[in-house]
Amino acid sequence: MILLIILLAMIKGKPSFPFETIALAVAFSPRLEALISETKRFASLFSAKVVFIHVGKRTAEKELHLQNILSHYGFTGDNSTTEWEDGESVETILSICKRNVVDLLIIGAVEKENMLKYFLGSVSREISRRAKCSVLMLTEPKLNPVPFQRMVVNGHDHSKTIHSIETAIYFAEKENLDEIIVVDEVDIPAVSMSIADDSPEPEVTQIKEAMVADESSRLTNLLSIITTNGIRLKAKTFAGRRGFTIGQYAQEMNADILVVNSPDHHMNIFDRIFTHDLEYMLADLPCNMLIVHSRVF
Amino acid sequence: MQTLSHEDVVVLFASISIMLLASRMFAELGRRIKLPVVMGEMILGIILGPSLFGYFFPEIFNKLFPETGNVAISLNAITQISVVMLLFVAGMEMQLPVVLKQGRLALFTSMTSFAIPFTVGFWLAWIKPEFLQVERTDTHLIFSVFFGTAMGISALPVIARILMDMNIYRTKIGMLIMASAMFIDLIGWLIFSVVLAMMDHRGVGVGLGLTLLYVISFGVIMLTIGRKLLSRSLPFIQTKLSWPGGVLAFSLGLCFLCAAFTQVMGVHAILGAFIMGIALGDSVHLHEKAREIIHQFVTNIFAPLFFVSIGLHVNFITNFNLQLVLIVLAIACIAKISGASLGAFLGGLNKRSALAVGFGMNARGAMEILLGTIAYKAGIIHADLFVALIILALLTSISSAPLMRWVTKNNWG
Repeated sequence: MILLIILLAMIKGKPSFPFETIALAVAFSPRLEALISETKRFASLFSAKVVFIHVGKRTAEKELHLQNILSHYGFTGDNSTTEWEDGESVETILSICKRNVVDLLIIGAVEKENMLKYFLGSVSREISRRAKCSVLMLTEPKLNPVPFQRMVVNGHDHSKTIHSIETAIYFAEKENLDEIIVVDEVDIPAVSMSIADDSPEPEVTQIKEAMVADESSRLTNLLSIITTNGIRLKAKTFAGRRGFTIGQYAQEMNADILVVNSPDHHMNIFDRIFTHDLEYMLADLPCNMLIVHSRVF
Repeated sequence: MQTLSHEDVVVLFASISIMLLASRMFAELGRRIKLPVVMGEMILGIILGPSLFGYFFPEIFNKLFPETGNVAISLNAITQISVVMLLFVAGMEMQLPVVLKQGRLALFTSMTSFAIPFTVGFWLAWIKPEFLQVERTDTHLIFSVFFGTAMGISALPVIARILMDMNIYRTKIGMLIMASAMFIDLIGWLIFSVVLAMMDHRGVGVGLGLTLLYVISFGVIMLTIGRKLLSRSLPFIQTKLSWPGGVLAFSLGLCFLCAAFTQVMGVHAILGAFIMGIALGDSVHLHEKAREIIHQFVTNIFAPLFFVSIGLHVNFITNFNLQLVLIVLAIACIAKISGASLGAFLGGLNKRSALAVGFGMNARGAMEILLGTIAYKAGIIHADLFVALIILALLTSISSAPLMRWVTKNNWG
């Protein structure tokens, strides 16, 4: 109990970066080696220690298989540990992360899941919704990983946004990126009907443009107070549904990674049925995604 | 095949032309003095109808807007189509995720904002129907539920417009008001559909139970699987079929199909159109331009025909009952403003902002007019009460913005 309280105290208020401890959820899938290879790259990039987590039966065969791959990628007992535990996958992974004060959890995720699996909630999606640490979802892990070139981050009007942008800057610095694109989305529900009948066309356009301009200037103000460490922050504001528009943009830009705020509440099946925000992206991952959990909240 | 006579065609086209041209003129004049378009259209209907033009020139009025015969049937069909399309676009503006995102605060505001006026309205109609100059009949429960609903409903488009004009649309309070208004719209129209089904079945019984089961199943399927399927088919329709013909035919075709379905099920066609509107409007794949085209088409062609036609069938002078108007206004405004303010206050807003939310939610607009008209045509309310509801809709739509400004002094903290 005392240990748990100490752990919670360590986690609460801990900034979202640096990533001192990273974890990888191991599933013995065909992509296991690629995921370990990517983890190796991130571990070197962030000078982090690594926790490998497997939920399931610990057999000699599995152990040998994992050990072989880990040795191949230079993971020794000094810079990594492996946790084997039985239990419900999501709960167990999250509890191990909490226990080890993990800063970044890496999981493999398919871009798009079938409708039934999505609604019922797959392990990777459930983790991304519920984790109390930042989660990096890798859609196409490679055996020979390459650094990220293009990074897009959300710039929503939300108190978590500043932490997401700062985390993105930290990440970008490590990747030697020159630029990050910060995207904000202006959602204007019910505007069409309320202005369609009593405003001439130029006024309708003007109203919408004014809303986008207001948001754009708010974003510019926010970016002006952030320490960028020489990285250029390029602001973009679009009218559109929050979560969906940024995903589309990241896809069109061939972004390597999309950095977003963690959800405000525990997302449940209703959030999937009446899709909004993060759920748009989880329904169809546009690229690799980093969900920043700012533990200040 | 039975067709309209040469004279019928001439009269029908002439009456449609007068309604469209004159309503546009009134709408434009109204716009200059900041009146909602719907108000200009309603005033035109009153001028053209038995209250004024029909009173002084009964022969021309009866010739242009006959109460019986082929032209009357044709105009009635157009009005029916207009109602269905208006509910369809109202549904398109609903975004259930917005309600979900606002969470507890929106739930508090919408529940109290609807529940309090609904309960007060229902109680008054049920216990003291004489105040509303209604006699107890076998449809008294239906009337009471309707009156409660009429007291509780809000008008999403009017509210959105007010918030935009006040430049608070995208603020926390703005989004809260929007989310609450959306939720109330949804609840209001669902209850009203049940009221109409009850009217059809004359009370509560096995037939009504089965109808409700069908309706709930229809709603759940349309808002889950139907929504997803629609969303997936839209990119194909908008890119592979001709633009905007493809998406227009697809949307309106499905709207009328759903309307026909709910009508068959024993509920008014409006529910099918409304649910279909929600399912379609929620899709992120529906182009903004397509949304605007549908709105323009409905609000500039069908809405004027509907709102003008209201005044053509009711005499607003002989059916104006000051006592009833004052009672309806007092009950509706006090219950709605206090209910919505209480919800916003309980949800965490300060007193002043909560009161502003209450004034904002009090705008009834076209939704109240639609609700009243359908109820009047279904025989649920008498003409005097219908007129009182129309006046309530118009006065609350005009007064909301100034009252919000007054209470906040343009300071939204």
